[in-house]
Amino acid sequence: MTEEAKTPPVVPINANQPIGEVLVFAEQILGQLQPVGLELLGAGRDLANKLERPLTAIVLGHNLGDIPKTLIAYGADKVYVADHPDLEQYRTLPYRRVICNWLEQMPVEPHTMLLGSTTTGRDLAPRIAAHFKTGLTADTTELDVGDYEHKGGADPSKIGLYANCLYAIRPSFGESLKARILGPWKNPQMATTRPGVMIPLKPDWERQGEIVQIPVELDPTDYRLVVKETFQEVKKGVNLADADVIVSGGYGMANAEGFELLRQLADCFENAAVGASRKAVDVGWIPYIHQIGQTGKTVRPKVYIACGISGAIQHRVGMQNADLIIAVNKDPDAPIFKFAHHGIVGDVYQVVPEMIRQLKQNQSATTKEVSSVV
Amino acid sequence: MSGSLNILVLIKQVPDTSSKAGLNPDGTIDRAKAKRMLNPFDRFALQAALHSKKVTNGKVTALSMGPPPAVEILLEAIEHGVDKGFLLSDRRLAASDTLATAYALHKVIQHLGPFDLIFTGLQTTDGDTAQVGPQIAERLNLPQVTYCEDFSIEGGKLHARRIVEGGHQTVVSEFPALVTVANAYHHLEYKTIRGARLVQELQRNEELKAQYIQTITLDDVGADPELCGLKGSPTIVAHTDKVGQIGGRCVMHQGKSIEMLVNEIAAGTNIKEFVRQ
Ligand SMILES: Cc1cc2nc3c(=O)[nH]c(=O)nc-3n(C[C@H](O)[C@H](O)[C@H](O)COP(=O)(O)OP(=O)(O)OC[C@H]3O[C@@H](n4cnc5c(N)ncnc54)[C@H](O)[C@@H]3O)c2cc1C
Repeated sequence: MTEEAKTPPVVPINANQPIGEVLVFAEQILGQLQPVGLELLGAGRDLANKLERPLTAIVLGHNLGDIPKTLIAYGADKVYVADHPDLEQYRTLPYRRVICNWLEQMPVEPHTMLLGSTTTGRDLAPRIAAHFKTGLTADTTELDVGDYEHKGGADPSKIGLYANCLYAIRPSFGESLKARILGPWKNPQMATTRPGVMIPLKPDWERQGEIVQIPVELDPTDYRLVVKETFQEVKKGVNLADADVIVSGGYGMANAEGFELLRQLADCFENAAVGASRKAVDVGWIPYIHQIGQTGKTVRPKVYIACGISGAIQHRVGMQNADLIIAVNKDPDAPIFKFAHHGIVGDVYQVVPEMIRQLKQNQSATTKEVSSVV
Repeated sequence: MSGSLNILVLIKQVPDTSSKAGLNPDGTIDRAKAKRMLNPFDRFALQAALHSKKVTNGKVTALSMGPPPAVEILLEAIEHGVDKGFLLSDRRLAASDTLATAYALHKVIQHLGPFDLIFTGLQTTDGDTAQVGPQIAERLNLPQVTYCEDFSIEGGKLHARRIVEGGHQTVVSEFPALVTVANAYHHLEYKTIRGARLVQELQRNEELKAQYIQTITLDDVGADPELCGLKGSPTIVAHTDKVGQIGGRCVMHQGKSIEMLVNEIAAGTNIKEFVRQ
């Protein structure tokens, strides 16, 4: 007998439990599908393939037009559509009822349910999780499935190997640690993810899928809250998502005027925006819409210039996929130098003005070249 | 005019984020080693509760869950004008996730209530999930207004303005309701002279303090310990990874004149391609 044959393979505790589908909540506002739903389909497709289960999407609203087809093009095998005038605008109680009722009648509940970590997703997800008494992880930055061996803890009845668990990964409290959070005991295993974190698939408009109309049966108590008016604000010039260059400042900028200096540096570039760390936002030097990181925006610019930012994990997850990261920090041991591509050790108040000077010089030099050719 | 309301505000003591909190091997936080403060978001909830008390001539109770030192934030709440404080403190609550926390708190609320309005902070600075408020609302079958940035109480209803993706929304809710207050709401006002004097006295007089602040356990509110703590938590932190280096090694520029350092960057990267012409 070989060594291997002597130890029988461990059978996962949940080996005989049926595995359900991977379900994505697709959010729409005033009939506009929100990109986060498509991003979640990108992440969900990978999970569904690993679990060998269908990827489904659920969308609620009224007169949804092409939205279900779009969801199929972006990777959904099946789309559940709840179309009703009272669902036109998001409201907690009606949405919660329609979704919970639909999940309850499924022969096998979904294995995983993903929602955007938006004002809507963060309003709705905890209601659904509390209804099903299942686990919910907020603001995940990576998702995966895999085995998990539970070694004990407070509940010895749960000891053993579990297969096909959702890994909801997010930075944890305290620095430079990433936590893998699991809840294999109860399905659906739920997670929310911020917009911009996951990457949508390329749409395939030939892709076939099933569209299922689902029942809408509301209760009079679902009308305890009514929406009067929704205002969409005109976007002010912060477009972190599309900027080629982001000049970002942290607590090392020391004051609000420091961000004025960063704005001047950003103005040297064709398509640039100003970002910030949470610490700079919290002290009020710059509004929250500029915040980058786990609880702010996730960005993928061509160039990210981090000024006076230490590089905490919660910041890093929001910008680590930039093509080029340049860090300016006076502390040579700052964690940001562990993952930046280029680091300048120096005072931001000396380095940034010098950058502006050299870039402007470069600018006028090129302009001269051009004019001499003409 | 509305009648006087019975108001509850949920507050939490969190590790002071400017000091470094320890992380236990099992992924939970070592709160004993950390400095403590009132969760900054809860200051807005407290202001919302005190405002509602003022305009309806009502009563505000503050409720917190945590180890005994969390009494500090209840005293702080009383200094600001809260009428009474309760601390749910029980070892069996250790390592509760949001679902277990919401279960325990909803049992306390059922025990102390009924309340017309329940305020919570939008989220905490340690967990950052924003889940506990809505999970309590689900358990209590209440309508909820999350991301509330302003509100008024008129005709026996709550008229609120909340933040939504890319804008704002106005809603009207019946009572009872649960409201999570965003940090766009009004700042917490100063402590009241009356509140500050009272707390000074409470600190000298344990008997009097017990009339204002009560510490209660799971048994006092009939909560099932199996549904609390690690046992009652469907999620666990299974694994923490030290985040390693990603990508290539950082090219360091240092120990030269600033002009040369910046020049090295301009020469060694493609940033010039993005310069405005
Ligand atoms: C749940 C949770 C979520 C979070 N979400 C986010 C998030 O989304 N985004 C985010 O950014 N953070 C987030 N944080 C906070 C994060 O942990 C850090 O505290 C924060 O990123 C630190 O900001 P900072 O780098 O600006 O400040 P610090 O850590 O204080 O770093 C300042 C840096 O500036 C340098 N410096 C000082 N003066 C100068 C000078 N004159 N010239 C050059 N360098 C100088 C210092 O050497 C230091 O490295 C979160 C934290 C938690 C717990």
